[in-house]
Amino acid sequence: MGDRVRRPRDAGREAQEPEPDGAELLQRVARGDEAAFVELYDLLIGPLFGVIRRVVRDPAQSEEVAQEVMVELWRSAARYSPERGSAMTWAMTVAHRRAVDRVRSAQAAADREENVGRRQLSRPFDEVSEQVATRLEQEQVRRCLGTLTELQRESVVLAYYGGRSYREVGELLDTPLGTIKTRLRDGLIRLRDCLGVAS
Amino acid sequence: MNADVHALTGAYVLDAVSDAERAEFERHLRECEACAQEVRELRETATRLGRAAAVVPPPELRAAVLERVGQVRQDPPQAAVVPLRRRNTAWATRVTGAAAAVLLVVASVLGVLLVQARGSVDDAEARAAAIATILSADDARISNQGDEEGGQMTVLSSRSVDRALLLADNLPAPPAGHDYQAWTIDDQAAHPAGLLPEGGDAVLEVDDLGGARMVGITIEPDGGSAEPSTAPIMEFDLA
Ligand SMILES: [Zn+2]
Repeated sequence: MGDRVRRPRDAGREAQEPEPDGAELLQRVARGDEAAFVELYDLLIGPLFGVIRRVVRDPAQSEEVAQEVMVELWRSAARYSPERGSAMTWAMTVAHRRAVDRVRSAQAAADREENVGRRQLSRPFDEVSEQVATRLEQEQVRRCLGTLTELQRESVVLAYYGGRSYREVGELLDTPLGTIKTRLRDGLIRLRDCLGVAS
Repeated sequence: MNADVHALTGAYVLDAVSDAERAEFERHLRECEACAQEVRELRETATRLGRAAAVVPPPELRAAVLERVGQVRQDPPQAAVVPLRRRNTAWATRVTGAAAAVLLVVASVLGVLLVQARGSVDDAEARAAAIATILSADDARISNQGDEEGGQMTVLSSRSVDRALLLADNLPAPPAGHDYQAWTIDDQAAHPAGLLPEGGDAVLEVDDLGGARMVGITIEPDGGSAEPSTAPIMEFDLA
């Protein structure tokens, strides 16, 4: 999976090429700097669209949600404060939430097939779309997901990539809700430690 | 709140909770630094899951976003503190003859009372009495402001009763280490009128309106200030 086509600007990232500073870009965007917003778009859109696409699934709806998210980042850039986390994390939080809202709203959730959730488990990364995540990032995440117990991993993947509520996860995995809650937390904590996320 | 509320950090970060659970847990986060810290770390962790899923977006998306952004006005800088803005439909009215507006407010007041009643039935009754007193005054007045996310503040006031009630509904949390503080503002100065109790739904009684022209809300360091240190995020004419 690692040797898929990548855009030229992404190809060198594994060699520790520094990214533009998202926090600084956001602060410029907050002052109405449209050029900074274009840079911010290029920095964030690959990961944001990847997550939205995973959760929403439908391509046209994914584009709509991605548009909403980017416009919201533009509109509310002044609300970002660096001490609360990185720009990527802030943006990703908005994107995941919007994507989940979309699939939970009314029809969408009901229309999805019962077995979609199960199928997602076997392919945590999208094999259809063109990947831009670096091989290093993917390998790390894959390896660290591998350190989770099966129930932890399935719960985290269904909730994050599948946009499922913990209640739905409990039903899909036929596991009590209290157990799912703790598995989600324990799984993320194990991932945090494995990925070396700084506190 | 039950004993394992702290265990919700994972489900919360993954957006795997209901809206009601989210609201309740965010209330908890304001009081539990251990959970707040864990949420920050787990959010960064979830972001790594997201980055690993990055794909090339459709090329036309970029132009579409940039075009829309050219037409969308940004929130003003003070929204850096809290996302409250006057919305277009902000209204203020005298009670007499404005039955629809009264109904709206009464509904919202009842909602707040129900939330409050979890604390104490006596409090709720006292508050209902205060509301009734204000609403029955000839010069009763209601104003309301809200943001697009559904947070709003309603002010019931009456000069003859010399009292105002500030009713917050689903208001976003103030930044960590800060409170919402109310002020009565006359031509000379702003006078402290109390802190809004914590939680998105809260009620604050302001007695002694004096010669105040308006009631204002600012964001102040925990515990409040002797005079406002920032511009008000909301102002309500007492007229
Ligand atoms: Zn806690």
